[in-house]
Amino acid sequence: MNRKYLIWAICLIFFLSPLFLNAYWVDVLNNIGIYAILALSLNFILGDTGLFHMGHAAFFAVGAYTTAILNTMYHIPILFLIPFSGITAAIFAYLVARPIIHLRGDYLLIVTIGIVEIVRIALVNNIFGLTGGSNGIFGISRPHLFGLIIRRPTHFFYYIWIFLAVSVFLFHRLRNSRFGRALNYIKEDEVAAEGTGVDIAKYKLIAFVLGAFWAGMVGNIYASKMTIISPESFTFWESVIYFCIVILGGSGSITGVILGSFLLIGLPELFREFAQARMLVFGLAMIIMMIFRPQGILPPPPRKYNVDQIN
Amino acid sequence: MVKKILLFTLCLSLFYIPMGFAKSKIKIGLMCPQTGSWASEGIDMKKIVNLLAEDINKKGGVLGRKIEIIDEDDGGDPRTAALAANKLCTRGIVAVIGTYGSSVTEATQNIFNENKIIQIANGSTAIRLTEKGYKYFFRTCPRDDEQGRVAAKTIKKFGFKRVAILHDNTTYAKGLAEEAKQNLEKMGGVKIVFFDALTPGERDYTTILTKLQSKKPDVVFFTGYYPEAGLLLKQKKEMGWNVPFIGGDATNNPDLVKIAGLDAAKGFYFLSPPVPQDLDTPQAKAFLKAYQAKYHALPGSVWAVLSGDALLAIVKAIDGSKSTDPDKMAYYLHYKLKDMPGLTGKISFNEKGDRVGDLYRVYKVDDKGNFVLQPKD
Repeated sequence: MNRKYLIWAICLIFFLSPLFLNAYWVDVLNNIGIYAILALSLNFILGDTGLFHMGHAAFFAVGAYTTAILNTMYHIPILFLIPFSGITAAIFAYLVARPIIHLRGDYLLIVTIGIVEIVRIALVNNIFGLTGGSNGIFGISRPHLFGLIIRRPTHFFYYIWIFLAVSVFLFHRLRNSRFGRALNYIKEDEVAAEGTGVDIAKYKLIAFVLGAFWAGMVGNIYASKMTIISPESFTFWESVIYFCIVILGGSGSITGVILGSFLLIGLPELFREFAQARMLVFGLAMIIMMIFRPQGILPPPPRKYNVDQIN
Repeated sequence: MVKKILLFTLCLSLFYIPMGFAKSKIKIGLMCPQTGSWASEGIDMKKIVNLLAEDINKKGGVLGRKIEIIDEDDGGDPRTAALAANKLCTRGIVAVIGTYGSSVTEATQNIFNENKIIQIANGSTAIRLTEKGYKYFFRTCPRDDEQGRVAAKTIKKFGFKRVAILHDNTTYAKGLAEEAKQNLEKMGGVKIVFFDALTPGERDYTTILTKLQSKKPDVVFFTGYYPEAGLLLKQKKEMGWNVPFIGGDATNNPDLVKIAGLDAAKGFYFLSPPVPQDLDTPQAKAFLKAYQAKYHALPGSVWAVLSGDALLAIVKAIDGSKSTDPDKMAYYLHYKLKDMPGLTGKISFNEKGDRVGDLYRVYKVDDKGNFVLQPKD
């Protein structure tokens, strides 16, 4: 019981932190939040289902560009575009994932890397004359919420972290559902899962589409936060970062993923003083991690069930 | 887990405590890409600005105070740049120099503007940056439409009457082609006989060259990149067609001569900002000498040198307005600063914050394949 109060108190302090942090650190927390949601959506595909997917930035990009194009051309308010960005990303994910969903392990990884590169190059080439080429799209408006314009880092802090809290709740529920257990089954043993009647292709596809849906919505938040998006923000390297967050934090574990984004996005900011050397420190830290704790910092706890309730 | 978050937050707040430096120094920020694909530009920028700052401090600084450069890495990426900008704003800077890419600069513009910090960009040429009416934003580089204007002027000056314009459908090349076309039409006396695109990356352009030839232009203006320009020159030579070609600044690359061959490249004109070793002002010569003595190399491009000009403009504004108040400095830069001798020529800004005057020059490929700066008018 004490532990529970402590957790609530810490959450409260965290949510009040913009009051005593300056704009820079609040913005760092915003970035951590954005990456945490993205990593959570990837975690659903990579951690829970065990699909090696390294092209998540592509879905993020589709969501961000959907928002940017519709907002700058038709002036549709940003908040209305949140579900729409998610749906576009989900449709895109369905189209590209359907033919490749049967690929296993590294083969899937290679194809997904291909997807993220194709999307980036298509954006640079100003596909359909919509994406603005390498200059990107500018002048995306800010979200309006009941007369308040979400504009300053502090506003975005609440916007992003509340979205993160909702995501955590939903992903937690999903993970503990029948559906979530089926995904875990596929991750642990595909053949056994198929043998007991789990429709592998269908479940994998749903995981992919749901993960992409969430990434698309984060794309919306990102676009309205930056007010400008350009292809440099959606490179293969970005996908690698999400991948690292999930693997490093502990794949399949929600708290692990959030911790992972603090480490991967927050730590380089702490080491900013070292300029170029910070990447070196960062790389070293990751190598040490992988040697001593390859399962991630906080791997998901084993599922527990109360014996009395089973009957 | 949550404990760790708390611990982390505490760490963050400790780092936030601003480092209390002595007030005597004037702090100027430098935002440049030190990592990522534009890192070479950013590292040059850092070297140049620091070298100039040392020089200014040796001469006693400005308003009797020394200047200090605080640099941040923008990573060549809008997200990292927004963080870098937020960080710089907390460090008590009066002005900031940078940065290189247009979209990267754009991500930081409103952050600096809200914090009332003078920003002078050095490599961001997108037109829209100065069209938003930001009071504290300036740039020492030309805008994208400037090149179109200079191209039209050059074509006119050479006395060509029938002009063919060829681009490659990329945003940059098409924009330049359209800008040049509009300017030529406005000037009058020139007929545009051809306006179309080729497909970049092909090996054979004889079809489009034949089509061009049938229109009998006096000159062909190609706005695309050097690989296609090289092939066009080579195949034009093979066809035995002797029409002068002019290229945009994307053809400024030594590989052009390799692709075209010496014979075909000879006599090719192109527009470009001067390469650093061609900068002819006394300031630039003295500066390049000092730079070479310290780093044993020349700066790679003119964009990095323009960051040096940004520093000179800031220092001049502090000196001229006798204050570090952003409003007074902005007023000085907009209306009082006239023809300040900089590294890349005379510097003044218009009311939008754009640099006045043309930076673009005409280059010609000589018999040995060297790019030779043509005398101005």
